[in-house]
This record gives sequence, structure tokens and C-alpha cells, in this order.
Amino acid sequence: MAASVALRLDLPMTLASSATFADGVREHQDEVYGVALRITGDRDAALDVASSTFLKAYRAFHRYDRTRPLRHWLLRIATNEAISYVRKRGRELRRSVEVDQATAVADSNATPDAESVAREDRARIRAAVRQLPDLYRVVIVLRYFNELSVDEIAHVTGRPASTVGVQLLRGRALLRGALESER
Amino acid sequence: MRNDRREDDLFDEVRLRRALRLEAAELPPRMDLATIAAQAEAHRPASVFAALLSTAVAGAAAAALAGLVLVALPTIAPAVASEAFDAAIQTLARAAVPASAILAAAQQPGIPLAATFALAVAVAYEYTQRRERARAVSS
Repeated sequence: MAASVALRLDLPMTLASSATFADGVREHQDEVYGVALRITGDRDAALDVASSTFLKAYRAFHRYDRTRPLRHWLLRIATNEAISYVRKRGRELRRSVEVDQATAVADSNATPDAESVAREDRARIRAAVRQLPDLYRVVIVLRYFNELSVDEIAHVTGRPASTVGVQLLRGRALLRGALESER
Repeated sequence: MRNDRREDDLFDEVRLRRALRLEAAELPPRMDLATIAAQAEAHRPASVFAALLSTAVAGAAAAALAGLVLVALPTIAPAVASEAFDAAIQTLARAAVPASAILAAAQQPGIPLAATFALAVAVAYEYTQRRERARAVSS
């Protein structure tokens, strides 16, 4: 059984980079999980999204365009999965995020002041990102978590680069507004 | 002013990057490749079976529908055909009444049909010519 699994894992191999599916999982799993976490805001959801992403990628690996980066393909699946997860779970997910946030703030009391302030700042920004509409949240996460360029985001999301540029500006403005209104 | 805004933007970007970065405590457990493969394989037969089953059911339904049509057609066809024939005859009879009147009028030598038609064509031609001239003058 183990031998047959290993054989099957070697089957979907990219011609351009000669990277196997296994290499893709190893190399990009943190990033896929991270993008799912930043979009859903929930660890369990992010794990579900990451595993369904790799499951879908495994099944569709023979259809993957090998001239394009594997990373972008995986991120495209992951963002789509995360967004549909968020839409499906909607209210239920938002409630669990609030609980997560509350525990995060409570934990920060034990740390020194500067660190606690920084942690609180990060928590506030993450919460503000989670409140963004899907349209802006995806581009903000791909830009500032995955460090993709505007063209790369356009490729991952299938939106025109000019639209992505505008959505980044608008997303940042919405974030700034949300953070300032908290003060 | 513009410099202040750019600095604000840069500051925002740095803050965003820092805030969204994965912390050590957030790192996920390693994905088990064998589990992914096993899950993919485990789900595949079910989906193939479901696809086969749905194809078979659709085929059986189509065959049943075709059989039903074949059985019912000889029974229904005569009634349907006679009703359609009746309707066609009635329509033809209704249309024949005004058509015969028009034909009778056309046969009267007192009505110069050809001259009336020629007049209508001449009026239409003159009208289009005038419209074109008016358009050329206005442009």
C-alpha cells in the first residue's frame, strides 16, 4: 500500500521545474495555510481549507498548466476555497473569531508592555482585515501576507491588474478608516 | 503634503505586513501527503460510481420516455391528426371569404389597379428623394 501511494505521488510531476506534487505541498503548505487563516480568521477553518486545497490540487494536478508557477495555482485554489468556506459558514465563523480574539487579548496581559502593545496592534489589524469585504480582503492578504505583486495577484485572482491596483488602494483606505474609528 | 501621505502609506504597508505575518505559534501541523493521496483515492471510486449510476439512471429514463412515446403515438395520432385537419380547413374557409371579395374587385375593369399601384410607387419614390435632399442640405 505504501509503495503504491509513493508511486502515485510521483506520477503528477511538473515538466518545467521537475517538482513533484510532494515538493509543492512541502514548499507551499505554510503559505497556503497562512492565506486561508488570514482570509477565514479561524485556525480550524484554515486547516480544513488547506487540506481541501491540496486534495483538489492532487486530483487536478494533471490539468495544471505547467508553464505557470505552481505557487500561484495553489494560491488561486486556496483563496477560492477560503472565500467559499467563509460564505458557507458566515455567521458561525464570525462568532468563533470573536472568541479567538478575546482569548488573544486576554493572553497578552501576561507579556511586557511594548510587546503587549504590538500584539494588540497586530490583533486589531487582523480583525480589521477580517471585516473587509471579500473583494478587498483577498487582494490585501495576497499583497501583504504572500508578498505578491499586483500582476501576480491579477493572475491568481483572474482580475485585471488595474482593478487589483484600485482594490488594493480601496482596501487600504477601508482598513485605515476602520483602525482610526477604533481610536 | 504628498510626502506625508506617502509616508503614511509606507507605514501602513509595514504595519500590515507585520500584522499578517504568521507567528511561530500559528504554524500549522505538517500536511501528511499520504493522507491527501489516500483521501483522493478514497473519494474517487465513490464519485466514479455516482457518475456511472447517474448515467445509467438517465439512460433508463430516456429509454422509458422513448418507449412511452412509441406506445402512445398510434393511439393518440389519429385524433390529433383529425383535429389538426379540421382546424386547417376552418382557417382556410375563414380566409377565403375576404380573399374572394378582393379578387372579385380586382377583376372589375372599372378599378385601374395597375394605375393605383404605379401611383403609390411614384409617391414613395418622390418621398424618399425629398428626404435624401433634405438630409444633404442639413448636413
